[in-house]
Amino acid sequence: MKEKKFEDMLSELETLVKKLENGDTDLDTSIETYQKAMKLAKECGDKLNNAEEAVNKILSEDGTLKDFHIENA
Amino acid sequence: MEKRYITVSTLNRYLKNKFDTDPNIQRVSLKGEISNFKGHTRGHLYFTLKDEEGRINAVMFSFNASKLTFVPEDGMKVLVTGRVSVYPPTGSYQIYVEEMESDGLGNLYLKYEALKKELAEKGLFDAGHKKAIPKYPHRIGIVTAPTGAAIKDILSTIKRRYPICETIIFPCLVQGELAKDDIVKAINEAEKYDLDVLIVGRGGGSYEDLWAFNEEIVAYAIYNCTIPVISAVGHEIDFTIADFVADLRAPTPTGAAEMAVPNMVDLFTFLEQIKIRCTSTISNKININKKHLLDLKDNYVLKNPLAVYEIKEQKLSNLIDILNSTITNKLANAKLKYNHIKENYILNNPEELLKKKKHDYTLILNKLEILNPISILSKGYSVVSLNDKTINSTDNISKGDTLNIKLYKGSLKAKVESVGK
Repeated sequence: MKEKKFEDMLSELETLVKKLENGDTDLDTSIETYQKAMKLAKECGDKLNNAEEAVNKILSEDGTLKDFHIENA
Repeated sequence: MEKRYITVSTLNRYLKNKFDTDPNIQRVSLKGEISNFKGHTRGHLYFTLKDEEGRINAVMFSFNASKLTFVPEDGMKVLVTGRVSVYPPTGSYQIYVEEMESDGLGNLYLKYEALKKELAEKGLFDAGHKKAIPKYPHRIGIVTAPTGAAIKDILSTIKRRYPICETIIFPCLVQGELAKDDIVKAINEAEKYDLDVLIVGRGGGSYEDLWAFNEEIVAYAIYNCTIPVISAVGHEIDFTIADFVADLRAPTPTGAAEMAVPNMVDLFTFLEQIKIRCTSTISNKININKKHLLDLKDNYVLKNPLAVYEIKEQKLSNLIDILNSTITNKLANAKLKYNHIKENYILNNPEELLKKKKHDYTLILNKLEILNPISILSKGYSVVSLNDKTINSTDNISKGDTLNIKLYKGSLKAKVESVGK
């Protein structure tokens, strides 16, 4: 479910940027939004950087998932 | 020159001879669609071969027709070999078919067109039914053959672009008679897993190779699949029914993988752009506020604070003036009132009243003194009375009356000797 969260983070980030760019907010709120957005952007980057490479699986004859290596294809 | 007339049959025989001696039409291989098909009772087949622009009568005699492995019918695409000759009784030329086989490709194409039309009418290709492909999939299912270029391309593309995405392969046959059922089974299997996207496809191949993806049951399996489906069948130029039904059509398996996952590099760039956007926005905002502050600082009040003081000072002076005049007025009024009260007081004060009365009294007393007859007596005047009545004339006085004369000191009794007038 990690990546679902990543999508949420990204959409939250986009909401923050829009809010910041909207210009209606006062300076204090804007600075707060800015700091939140920058923090979230960093977290998104970290998440991508730190995410483990996923393993490929294949549905086997017995109905279970087995590891699949691209060399076997 | 004198005209020479020949008979119709002579002409037809002449033409037949021309046809029969032309090596180009002695053995012709022809491609076309059967129409007006008639199976004769004696086993001969009569039909027309046609394409979009032309037609030719065809006859296949029973000794050739008996070798056919299929039953010809109208609308069928066929490949035939035979000779072209003239039938003199009608003066028409026709092809005498010796061999005939089904034009598989042509027939498949007809089937494809017919199914495409039918499914389009049933709404299977409707844009409104298509599901959105999630931007950042967590797990992707792949329905394809577990070996071959397609699966390699898909997996390596996903790995290269978005290695954090999980993949599950649902292996199936992708060509041959059994492929369609296998594909449907694999799609149904995929439904059991929590997948964000399902790629359904295979690598390039002949039209017949790709045929499974034109099957109706495959189309319905994709249509009814709850997972967003990306189709990836063959090459760019290959369009299958599956492509029309799928939520998104990819030109190739590699293309499908590219559509299914974002590129990490792009994502990092995107994040960097977000940061730049945020920073420039906040910088602008701060600058605007700074400018606002400077404008405020430039305000004359802040530049010349005495100005405010002066205004206030003036106001204060005015207020003091008003205050002074008010107080003076009030004081004057109060004094007036006081004097008034004081006067009233004086007038009504018993002591003062007494003093005044005493004064009055003295005055009266003095007056009385002046008027006191006694005091006149002291100057030598006398009061004469008769029978205790003071008289001031001789009237009623007679000789012999005894008059009482009151002097300052003492009194006299005197007899009237005469009365003068």
